[in-house]
Amino acid sequence: MPAEFSGVPESELSERFDLSVPADAEAIAGVVDALAETLEHLEVPEQKRFEIALAVQEALANAVVHGCGNDPSKQIRCRLQSNPEGRILISVTDPGPGFNPERLPDPKQDGNVYADHGRGVYLIRQLMDEVQIARPGNEIRMWKY
Amino acid sequence: MDINVRKRSQVQVIQLRGALRMGPAVDGLRQTMDEALSNGDTRMVMNLAEVPMVDSSGIGLLVRYLAVIKQKGGNLKLAQPSKFAVQTLKLVGVLNLFEIFDNDDAAVESFAKIA
Repeated sequence: MPAEFSGVPESELSERFDLSVPADAEAIAGVVDALAETLEHLEVPEQKRFEIALAVQEALANAVVHGCGNDPSKQIRCRLQSNPEGRILISVTDPGPGFNPERLPDPKQDGNVYADHGRGVYLIRQLMDEVQIARPGNEIRMWKY
Repeated sequence: MDINVRKRSQVQVIQLRGALRMGPAVDGLRQTMDEALSNGDTRMVMNLAEVPMVDSSGIGLLVRYLAVIKQKGGNLKLAQPSKFAVQTLKLVGVLNLFEIFDNDDAAVESFAKIA
């Protein structure tokens, strides 16, 4: 998939972070914390750092649970790229079969409010400016402007 | 995540410190809540002042236990939620499910008013 879906040519993006870790909840906490540090070094404002970190936490959690079936022998990859204007692209990839994002329930609908799951992708879409889930659904690309 | 539990005026006050997210943090809090419930405690205050992140697993845990505790006639109230905790709970439409207080004292005293 081309990176320029937000209008930013791939050639303008610089790699800032590229980490592959086992599909394990403790490992992804370390990735999120390391990514937050990278954002701080890039002088991303606190509010934006929080929104990106939470979106990445959700994307990695989905990759661990749904993409890898909580199997730590599998690997998930997280990349962060940015352009000179400060636009940030994060991608999270897992080796799973993917999912259909159109079939996800609305967590704010009556009956779902007290559910103990089903809010991850919704949160990502609220927190990031542009989100694309690549076919077959095992790579999520998220832009923050 | 650090989880500190103390009892005040028959109310369990649970102080959290760190991100409430999938993994040891959510697992540890679930264990704490299950222990409290098995002891018959259904009046709880959770202090989120030092919780900079609540992910969807943490939200799921909070609303699930809120429902369980309310079914038993109790309540789970939030004290001093951090700015980002409030934003997150609001984003997914569950903030208004909780009673929220500025500090532990006010949250604990609110139970006495309905006793």
